Amino acid sequence: MIRTEELLLNVGPQHPSTHGVFRIIVKLDGEVITEATPVIGYLHRGTEKLAENLTYTQVIPYTDRMDYVSAMTNNYVLCHAVETLMDLEIPERAEFLRLIVMELQRIASHLVWWGTYLLDIGAMSPFLYAFREREMIVNMFNELCGARLTYFYMRVGGVKWDAPEGWIDKVRDFIPYMREKLDEYEQLVSGNEIFLARVKGVGTYDAQSAIDFGLSGANLRSTGVKFDLRKDQPYSIYDRFDFDVPVQTAGDCYARYLVRFEEIKQSLRILEQAVEQFPEDGQIMAKVPRVIRPPEGEVYTRIESPRGEIGCHIVSKKKPQPYRLKFRRPSFVNLQILPKLLVGETMTNLVTILGGIDIVLGEVDG
Amino acid sequence: MSDQKQVTEMDPKESKKNIENIEEEVTEEPSPNQDRLDRIVELIKTNIAEDAIEVAFINELDRDLPCIVIRSPYWVKTAMLLKESELLKLNYLRNVSGIDFETHFEVVYYLLSMSTGNQLDVCIKVKADRENPSIPSITSVWNTANWNEREIYDLLGVQFPGHPNLKRIMMPDDWEGHPLRKDYEPIDPEV
Amino acid sequence: MKGIVKGMGVTLKNLTKKKVTHQYPDVPLEMPDRFRGVQHFDPEKCIVCNQCMNICPTDCIDLIGKKNPDPEKKGKVIDTYDINFEICILCDLCTEVCPTEAIVMTNNFELATYSRDDLFKNMEWLNDNNTNVRKENSINIPPKKAKKEEK
Repeated sequence: MIRTEELLLNVGPQHPSTHGVFRIIVKLDGEVITEATPVIGYLHRGTEKLAENLTYTQVIPYTDRMDYVSAMTNNYVLCHAVETLMDLEIPERAEFLRLIVMELQRIASHLVWWGTYLLDIGAMSPFLYAFREREMIVNMFNELCGARLTYFYMRVGGVKWDAPEGWIDKVRDFIPYMREKLDEYEQLVSGNEIFLARVKGVGTYDAQSAIDFGLSGANLRSTGVKFDLRKDQPYSIYDRFDFDVPVQTAGDCYARYLVRFEEIKQSLRILEQAVEQFPEDGQIMAKVPRVIRPPEGEVYTRIESPRGEIGCHIVSKKKPQPYRLKFRRPSFVNLQILPKLLVGETMTNLVTILGGIDIVLGEVDG
Repeated sequence: MSDQKQVTEMDPKESKKNIENIEEEVTEEPSPNQDRLDRIVELIKTNIAEDAIEVAFINELDRDLPCIVIRSPYWVKTAMLLKESELLKLNYLRNVSGIDFETHFEVVYYLLSMSTGNQLDVCIKVKADRENPSIPSITSVWNTANWNEREIYDLLGVQFPGHPNLKRIMMPDDWEGHPLRKDYEPIDPEV
Repeated sequence: MKGIVKGMGVTLKNLTKKKVTHQYPDVPLEMPDRFRGVQHFDPEKCIVCNQCMNICPTDCIDLIGKKNPDPEKKGKVIDTYDINFEICILCDLCTEVCPTEAIVMTNNFELATYSRDDLFKNMEWLNDNNTNVRKENSINIPPKKAKKEEK
C-alpha cells in the first residue's frame, strides 16, 4: 500500500486554464480532488456602484466590459430594461440590427469558447480555426460600430449606427461560409477519440441540481430542460423567427459541447431569416428625450446571452441616474456548481469541467 | 447649459403623462396576473400565517409582475412552501438583488417555475431594518442563493443567519465597510 | 483512430490555403472609417460648452475656457484641453455630444508608451493628431443644427 498525504494545491489566480483571474484551492488525495474552494473577486470593478453616479447612457460602455466576449448582449439587456421602464417603442430597423448583431455575437462567443475549450484539453489547432472565423465577425462589428471588442453599439431607444452599405450582404455571405466551416470543425474534433475520452461522462449533473443551482444557458439545456428565453419569454423580435432550442440529456461536458455547437447552427438559421426580412429603410432611433429619466419604479429584464440568462434589475427614482442597478450575471451563478462537480474528479478533469461551464471572469466578478 | 434647458422643457410634459397614467390605472381593468397573485396570497395566508404578507401588488411597469412583500420571520417557511406546493413549484431562483433604500434594506427574489410549464415570474421582497439588517438565509431551499447572499452581505452588509459560509466574496476579507451602501465612505479614496 | 485520421484530413486541406494572418506591425493595420481611435481636437471650433466633459463616463477630459480675446466677439474660447488616456475608454460619447465637431475620432490607435505620463495628452498634441480623421461624425447632430453649420 502506498500511503498518500492530503495536499493543498492552489490554482490561479493567474493560470492559463482559468480563463482569467480565477483562483481555486483544491484538496488533493493523490490525483483525486476531495474539496474545492473557488475564490473570486480579483476582477471586481464595482460596476453597480459606479452606475449609481452615471446616467443610463454612460453605464452602457461599462456593460461592455462585464462579459467582454459578448458585449452586444450586455448592451442590449440594459437598454431593454430602460426601454421597458419607459415603455418605448423601438423602430423596426433598429430591432433587426440589434437582433443580427446579437446573433452574430452568440456565434462569435461560442467560437471563442469552442477554441479555448479545446485548447484547455490539449488540442492546439482548433483555437486557430475558431479565431479565423471569429475575426470575420469582429471585423464586421468593427465596420458597424468602430470597435472590435467593446462595441458600445446600442443606445436607449435604438442603435448608434445604421448598417453601412453592403454590410447586410456581408452577413448574408457569412452564413453559408460559416456552415461550411462548422462541417469542417465537426470533422476535425467531434469524432476525435481522444477528445471524446476527455469529455464524455465528465462533470455530470442532473436536471434537478441544475435547476437548484439556477444554471442557465447551455449548462441547463445539457440536462434535458428545454428552457431558452428567446423562445419561452420572448423579447425583441425573436418570436418572428423559426428556430429550435437544442437540448441534450446526458448533462456531461460532452452534452454541453453539443448544445453549444448546435446553438451556432440555430443562430445561423435566425440570421438567415433576419437578413431576408431586413427592412429596406427606416429609423434607427426612437424618439427619446435627451435626458433619460425613466418613471419611478422597478424592473427586471432578462435575455439569453451566450452564457445563459443575463438580467438587469433597475430601481429608478425618476432621476437620470439609476438608484440601484443590479446585473444577474450568468457566469457568476453558473460557477456556483463547480465545487460540487469537482469532488471525486481528478486534477486533469478540473480544467475540462471549468472550461465546460464557460465562464468569463469579467462577468463573474462584476 | 443646453442640457438644463431640455430638462425644464421636458418636465411638464412628463408630469402630464404621469397624471394620465394614474387616471388610466384607476379605470383600467385588473391586470391579467391579478388572479394569480390572489391565489398565491391565499396559499401563503392559509398555510403560513395571516400576517406573513406585508403587502401584495402588481408591478405594471414590469409586464404586470406579481410582487409580494413577506415579513422576514416567515420567509424560510414561505420559501419552502413556494418551492414545494403543487400549484406553484417555484423551483428556479433566477435573481437575488439587495437594495439600500436608506430607510431600510430590501432583498428582492425573482422566482420561476421550471416544471409547471406556465413560465410566469413571481417577485418576492423581504425587508430588513437599516440599523441591524438581517434576513434568514434560503440557501437550504435554493442553492442559487448561496453566492448571491454572500454578495449582498459583502456589498450591502445584510446578515443572512443560517447561511453555511457567509464570508466576503467580491471584496478582500479585511475590507472595511460595505461599498454598495448609500452612505459608504471609502477609507482611502484613492483606491 | 478513425476520428483522428479525419481530423488530420482537415489539417492537410487547410495547409494549402492562403494565409489569413496579418504581418502587423510591419504592415500597418487599416481600420474602417467608423473606428474609434484617439481623438483629434480642433481648438478653433470649440465653443467651450463643457458637454464632452460632462458626458464622459470616466471623467478623463479636463478643459478650461477663457474670454474671447477679440473684444468684438462674444462667447468663450478654449484655453486648455487635456485627455487622460490612462482612463479614456474611447467610447465615442464626447464626439457624439459635441455640437461643432471640435472633437472627432481618428483611426489612429497606437498609444503604447514606456511611461504612463506620456498618456496624458494636451490640446497641442490632440490638435496635431489630425491624420485619418473619421468622416462620419455628424450622424447624431440634429438636422437643424447641422444645417446651421453649413451656412
